[in-house]
Amino acid sequence: MNDRGKIVQMGGRRAPRPQLVTEFAEIARRMQDERVAAANVVERLLRDTPTEQWRDLAGRPELRTSGALEKLGNYVTQALGRDPRQALTAAQLAMTLCETLDGEYPAVVVAQLSAHAAKDLAKALLYLGRFDEALSALDVAEARVAAHGALAHDLAIVRVVRATLLHEINRYDDAFALLAECKEVFREHHDHKRLLLCGINEGVLLHRMRRYREAREAYLLLLPATADSGDRDAMACLYNVIGHCSVDLGDFTAAEMYLSRAIELFHTLGQPLQAAKAELGRGRMFVRRGDVQRGIAHLRPIRADFMRHRMTEEAGLCGLEIVDALLARSAAGDAEALARQIIVEFTAAALNQRAISALGYLTEAIAARKASRDLVTTVREYIVSLRTSPERPFAFV
Amino acid sequence: MTSPTTVRVDDQLFEAVYEQYFPLLTQIAAFKFQVPDTDAEALVHDVLISYLRKAHDIVDLRPWLIGAICYASRHYWRLNGRTTGAEAEVAGDRVDPASLRILDSLPDQLAAREALECLGPRYREILHMRYFEGCTVKEVASRLGVKTKYAQKLITKCLRRAERLYSQKGRTR
Repeated sequence: MNDRGKIVQMGGRRAPRPQLVTEFAEIARRMQDERVAAANVVERLLRDTPTEQWRDLAGRPELRTSGALEKLGNYVTQALGRDPRQALTAAQLAMTLCETLDGEYPAVVVAQLSAHAAKDLAKALLYLGRFDEALSALDVAEARVAAHGALAHDLAIVRVVRATLLHEINRYDDAFALLAECKEVFREHHDHKRLLLCGINEGVLLHRMRRYREAREAYLLLLPATADSGDRDAMACLYNVIGHCSVDLGDFTAAEMYLSRAIELFHTLGQPLQAAKAELGRGRMFVRRGDVQRGIAHLRPIRADFMRHRMTEEAGLCGLEIVDALLARSAAGDAEALARQIIVEFTAAALNQRAISALGYLTEAIAARKASRDLVTTVREYIVSLRTSPERPFAFV
Repeated sequence: MTSPTTVRVDDQLFEAVYEQYFPLLTQIAAFKFQVPDTDAEALVHDVLISYLRKAHDIVDLRPWLIGAICYASRHYWRLNGRTTGAEAEVAGDRVDPASLRILDSLPDQLAAREALECLGPRYREILHMRYFEGCTVKEVASRLGVKTKYAQKLITKCLRRAERLYSQKGRTR
């Protein structure tokens, strides 16, 4: 050390103190063992305990481990799309478990575990449309990691969820600013997967705002890095969204090119239903460019394909594209009949009641011959938005 | 059940990760961000522990750890209210990532001295000032009578030359 208290060593070789290495190896080994041990425990306990009694599981010592909390986090993510209320209960259990961890692990690990539990809770609340509570949970998550400079990456992961929430409550500028910050953190950590995710989030945000040109630019910017990474799934998804944006922009040459690439790649990857979604984009393209009859003929088999795979919501969305085409052809009677059919399918599949109400509103408007094609677009976009915000109210102005 | 052999291998792996990256990361915190020695060590320990929870998720460990220590060091100064001209000093002292790699690859002080012996007097003097006397880049620049940016370039050039000559010497031995 020199007289200013700085390390002065040529070659940068500064050996760690043996006790630090030992502590690190012990924690690593413990966390790995707990991860292995938790693999079956969490799944079994949640399966064997009625959901309303999950809160009582907080007393189980086998759940008070880093490994078990990781598994609970995974469970919350998987349950969100299936049963958001169950996801919320699991996230609440994880939060309770975290309160008992002080002193069990190094402070930085406790902060990580607590922050991720609070973030998962926020995701579940966001899914249920309880935005204020979700914001409070995110405040907790950020507060847990704020004291630890080493957790910048975790903080950015929490902030991506906050950006999604801000997006849902229409605070678009704040969401963009936050995503830009997160991208910088992920870029510096060479976390290309999350960097790509942020870019896609920006595109989705712009698409939601109907800023199609900018959305397409945002997606196009992601193409080179994604191609370099060799992630063909991500490439296919990007081609697909770029194609859809191009349809909305009326740039049918680009739409045809990107959608065709997406369809080909999805087939190569063995994902025929994703390919069908890209085909749906081509159907939209035919309708938008005035080739209505061809569009309808293209869309009907895709809708049937979705129904055959019991993808009722996708079939309904495809059906709404056909309704739009029928309205363009002034075939209001056929459009009304199809809209009613979609309601029957949604009801039979017990889909979101709000989606069914919005479809009912559309059907009545068509019956009264007062439905515009814009209304069809609004209902379609509303149904898509219910995937991330199932409690979002329907508002057509 | 995990076999004892597997556990042993894992133990060695964890220790190897720690021993491999600790020197590089403390160097970044201490040299690039001027974090005091003891605090730099604590920051690096936190960074390495924070990696454990996401070890399975990190594709490229080295840049991930470098990113993490850079953020941790900046956070350190935000909390500790740096009073000197932080930006200017940090900018002047910014180490070329390529030279960090070189530094990390030189095995010990002895190797460094041997490497220095391979250089001409001017190059030797520059590296001596920077790494044996502990001068900042700005101080090196002032003593050489050149601009800070040019001094940084010279230092990087000296390191690269030292590495090249030293590795040639190793091959002829």
